[in-house]
Amino acid sequence: MSSAARGAPLAIEGLAKQYGDVVALAPTDLTIERGEFFALIGPSGSGKSTLLGAIAGFVPPSGGRILIDGDDVVAVPPYRRNIGMVFQNYALFPHMSVFENIAFPLRLRKASEAEIRARVERMLAMVRLPGMGGRRSNQLSGGQQQRVALARAAIYDAGLLLMDEPLGALDKNLREEMQDEIKQFHRQIGATVLYVTHDQEEAARLSDRMAILNHGRLVQVGRSRDLYEAPRNAFVASFLGEANLFAVRHMTSTGGGLAVDTREGIPLAALRGPAGAINGAAVMACVRPEAIELARPGASGLDNRVEGVVDDVVHAAGTVRYRVRVGDGFAITVRRPSRLQAEDPGVGERVALSWRADDTLLILKE
Amino acid sequence: MTPRGDALARAMRVLLPCFTVLVLLYLTLPSILIVLMSLSDQTYLTFPPPGWSLRWYRTMTEDTSWPQAALNSFVVGVPAAALSVVLGTQAALALTRGRLRFAAIASACIVAPMLLPHVIMAIGLYPVMLDLGLLRSYTAAILAHAVVALPLVFIIVSASLRGYGESLELAAMVCGAGPCATFRHITFPMIRMSMAVGGLLAFATSFDELMLSLFLTGPGTRTLPRLIWEQMNAYLTPTIAAVATLVLVLSLVLLGAAALLQRGRIEGSAP
Ligand SMILES: Nc1ncnc2c1ncn2[C@@H]1O[C@H](COP(=O)(O)OP(=O)(O)O)[C@@H](O)[C@H]1O
Ligand SMILES: [Mg+2]
Repeated sequence: MSSAARGAPLAIEGLAKQYGDVVALAPTDLTIERGEFFALIGPSGSGKSTLLGAIAGFVPPSGGRILIDGDDVVAVPPYRRNIGMVFQNYALFPHMSVFENIAFPLRLRKASEAEIRARVERMLAMVRLPGMGGRRSNQLSGGQQQRVALARAAIYDAGLLLMDEPLGALDKNLREEMQDEIKQFHRQIGATVLYVTHDQEEAARLSDRMAILNHGRLVQVGRSRDLYEAPRNAFVASFLGEANLFAVRHMTSTGGGLAVDTREGIPLAALRGPAGAINGAAVMACVRPEAIELARPGASGLDNRVEGVVDDVVHAAGTVRYRVRVGDGFAITVRRPSRLQAEDPGVGERVALSWRADDTLLILKE
Repeated sequence: MTPRGDALARAMRVLLPCFTVLVLLYLTLPSILIVLMSLSDQTYLTFPPPGWSLRWYRTMTEDTSWPQAALNSFVVGVPAAALSVVLGTQAALALTRGRLRFAAIASACIVAPMLLPHVIMAIGLYPVMLDLGLLRSYTAAILAHAVVALPLVFIIVSASLRGYGESLELAAMVCGAGPCATFRHITFPMIRMSMAVGGLLAFATSFDELMLSLFLTGPGTRTLPRLIWEQMNAYLTPTIAAVATLVLVLSLVLLGAAALLQRGRIEGSAP
């Protein structure tokens, strides 16, 4: 089986979909490289399935082009697009055996019986279901059914694989196991994968790059790390991980940085202004909980300093989350690695928070 | 609990089963009486029969009008059921899978003939069939019966289609199956039991239908219910009870077959 070279590049130009007055997808441009694993994330109702459905051919777009390997497929019916797809509810054919489910696309392509047998057996081994071909799909566990769905989508060497929340129905541990398998599977087959999920951690683990959708609009595209470290706006900042957000009143240049005045009444020090800020656009300051250091009051700290009272302490899987009240109705979340330390501040104690100027991210409100 | 509430609860425990038995008797007694009356040795319909015999079953087969009417019932019922299955399934597919703008209104129109009085349709169809020169023909009865039997097929097949969702068909299409291949390999295997059940019930509906047959069939094409009706007016012999008993048996067989198919459908489908 050949690898990498097999993936088909995907380009979307001005693709849009409206249902009456509802804009399910605003005109969207997106380019996905040959063989890339690309994740599409966003809250429920943000248009992820609509975009995937348009590429698969179930959702006729209101406008725009979809180029698979350079060919516009908008007018091509779904059964001639030669795309593979994995559905959230597996969509295995209940009246067929596992073998017949996987063989189905090959039978439609009039492959010989011998070829079908060989390819299905090889695929069964690849998804770690050897000898399971005779089973009915309803005799398999959720994870096994998903592997059959994966095998059926990949058996006909489609250059592009679409996956719509394929692990959404599985529990957490199984989901993580399947994520590793999907990643492995992608390396073996080399197809371009467009993977929809609402779980940002899953997207980060699996993908080379990702796009964030909100209200039918593509907000930002990039590597997981880029999106986390340089979120474009407040939505991206809080959708990917946790963020302490401050509403910015105005900013003044100081020697080598910015002095930021916030509505919360806490003066901040930052290094850079917001990327691509239009004059007059609302700006927010974002500080990640793990960038903040915790010390006794009065201790010398970093560029940004604020004191407060610990409101809540939660120990969870290796990290401690503190909520520190710093003034009227405003609390800052701090996350520190959990260590055997006697002097961890407890609820009601006064603490000093501090962080570096370059950890104050100035971003757009919208 | 108060003694009074206690007494009430005890009374309910006795009354409820009694009431249930009464309702069941009320529902089945007419059928049981017909069977008993058909075994009478008298020349008129009476209950209880003073003596027993099977002679009315012989009379029934000797009089050629009864076998002819039975044959007519099949000649009308089988094509009517087939027509209902084909059209009802297509309507169900269009309204559950297609994204039609007026789906709710169309559904209501399709189901309406099941709920409307047959006499209204009969009066409406009579002049139409007369104009078309189809009055008293098999065709007239077949078309009319298909209209009243179609809703059953439509309802049963629609429920089955809704039961498994459209993602199976979408999956088949992505795999490369065009509309015909998708229907043949996926949709039809998923709904064929429901189509069969719908077909059986459609036939039973036609087999039992009187009002439309009265208006639209003639002496040569009259169905069993119509002949029973005519004979009831002329002579009240136990032959009628014998015929009714046979109709009853056939209906029970059809319902039993439908129930068996239905069970197979549920066991054979995915969880
Ligand atoms: N068939 C439809 N008719 C009308 N509105 C729809 C239809 N399908 C989706 N929508 C709307 O389009 C928006 C995007 O939906 P969807 O793509 O399913 O979101 P996601 O997959 O991100 O949860 C939602 O507001 C949804 O209500
Ligand atoms: Mg969705």
